[in-house]
Amino acid sequence: MIDPRRPEDDAPPPDLPYQLAWRSSEVRAGAHRGKREGAGGFFRDVAPLLRSPDPRRLDLRVSARDPFEGLHVRRFEQKATVTVYALVDVSASMGFRGASDKMRLAADLCAALASAVRRAGDAFGLIGCDAEVQKELTFLATRARGSEVEMLRRLRNFTPRGAGTGGMVDAAALVGGGRKVIFLISDFYMPRPEIEAIFGALARHDIIPIVLSDTAELERLPRWGLLSLTDLEVGRRRLVVMRPRLWEAWQRRSGRRRADLKSIAGRYGRTPFVVEDRIDWERLSGYLAGGVA
Amino acid sequence: MNLALTYPWVLALIPLALLPLTFAIQRRQGYPSLAGVEPDGLSRAVDIGLHLLGALAILSLLAAIGGLHLKGQTVERVGEGSHVVLLLDRSSSMDETFAGKQATETEASKSSVARELMREFINRRDHDRFGVAAFSTMAMPVLPITSHKDAVLGAVDAITRPGLAYTNVGQGLALALSMHEADPTAASRAILLVSDGAAVIDRRVQERLREQIAKRPVNLYWLYLRTAGAPGIFDPPREGVPDTPQAMPERHLNLFFQSLKVPYRAFEAENPEAIADAIEEIDKLERNPIRYQERIPEIDLSDLAYGIAAGTLLLLLLAKLAEVRLETGGALTRSKAGSTVAAARQATDNETKRLKEAA
Repeated sequence: MIDPRRPEDDAPPPDLPYQLAWRSSEVRAGAHRGKREGAGGFFRDVAPLLRSPDPRRLDLRVSARDPFEGLHVRRFEQKATVTVYALVDVSASMGFRGASDKMRLAADLCAALASAVRRAGDAFGLIGCDAEVQKELTFLATRARGSEVEMLRRLRNFTPRGAGTGGMVDAAALVGGGRKVIFLISDFYMPRPEIEAIFGALARHDIIPIVLSDTAELERLPRWGLLSLTDLEVGRRRLVVMRPRLWEAWQRRSGRRRADLKSIAGRYGRTPFVVEDRIDWERLSGYLAGGVA
Repeated sequence: MNLALTYPWVLALIPLALLPLTFAIQRRQGYPSLAGVEPDGLSRAVDIGLHLLGALAILSLLAAIGGLHLKGQTVERVGEGSHVVLLLDRSSSMDETFAGKQATETEASKSSVARELMREFINRRDHDRFGVAAFSTMAMPVLPITSHKDAVLGAVDAITRPGLAYTNVGQGLALALSMHEADPTAASRAILLVSDGAAVIDRRVQERLREQIAKRPVNLYWLYLRTAGAPGIFDPPREGVPDTPQAMPERHLNLFFQSLKVPYRAFEAENPEAIADAIEEIDKLERNPIRYQERIPEIDLSDLAYGIAAGTLLLLLLAKLAEVRLETGGALTRSKAGSTVAAARQATDNETKRLKEAA
């Protein structure tokens, strides 16, 4: 299986620099800004020696300036690790194959993420869910090297067949407390209350929504003709008499849906990143670095 | 409506018509979520319409194969008319003209004049049923009482054939009455006796006729085609001529008819116009309500059914041709499980390789 639309330069970069606008509270030294003080990293503040008894970091200038002749030491931020989770929607709707294969896009994205997370020394976990959390796709975050090979193998072999996205909410419990980075990978074909429920359940984390969309399901819909569509999840069939007016209404509807998602995601910190047909790695890197799409 | 099938076993195939209601003619195409599809009334109507068209196509094909037809039937209606037995004199004198001569090109014989006028009479009376009997030496049943006009007209046409010798009115009347007896329906009945002469009716025959008439009363019309010089029906006996049936058969036949106590009219006609007037008169008199049967022929509906089937199939074909597919672009379809596994394995290998490089 060779994808003609994926030349070598389209391959995922070895690193995705995900920068965080918050400080990790993890203890382990890592690549991100942490909440704890320790050696190295950014200068944080100056504290009396008695409170932070590390005479190696005596700040002479501040100590000399102190009219009470107290001794002060500099304190530095400890760079910390974060835990990164990829929450992948594996409901049947992700099995849609138009210009691309959404499940493969999701797997590619997870592969790139896993490798980037490894390089940063962070922990990576993967949870696949449809109406419930899929047992065979539940990998709690780990730093173990090579663990992602099994995750990705199972993700690539997984045939989406479930319906619903309720599992995302359940997955929040598995992810646990403590702020983490959550990549929410889905086509977001779900009603607004459901989206809100998922974001609400994951509210304490840094949610990075990645929308997998396909031009064949929207922009490249035929303008004329009879179209027989079957809902991949529910299995219901519907005949659509395509005509330009309906086509435009359809685009408007999807525009509204995306705007809804954007406003919900915005409330939780980040705007969604939309993947159309193929992953634009450069743009994704920029999005992860800058925090905006 | 009286629908029927030539081959009723096609009814066993009727459940096939349910198939189009459950299956669609279009190829199924997956779509992530119908919630993303703009709801559209027209689409819905077309969808339902196509399903129904499919069912209709199968039903009409079955109807056509089964030979759907409207059954022929007889309908009883009520109109004006009666059952008339035409009792025609076939004696040879009928072949002469009113002047008692041989018929020529210009002057028609009595029988042919009577025939023409009777044809007109028969054609004018839509709901009547006619029987035809003839008599000369003996009575001849020609046609029992029937509603087949063509047969009646044919029988009437036959009276222009050369006639026979004598005039046996008594037996003719007996035959006409028995024809009425053979007809069981309740209708106004009439006997139209057309003759150009009379004969003595035997006293015993007279008694029998009285009995028959008492059993089944009929309206009696006597159209007497009087030849010039022949004695009239209503003429009183002349001086010196004895008033006996032998001497004046016409007068005495009339008297006999009058004594039958049934509605009776005698018309004496000396020329074609007089016959026409007489028949007009009879036409006016015989206006009684009658129940008559109307035959409705069988109508074959299979052509119509084939037409409907062809029309619906054409529409379905157009719908099939109008079908479009989602543009799949250059995407690969993971149709086979084997290729999926192979791809996954390759991807895993790539993953491992990358990990090694990273390490």
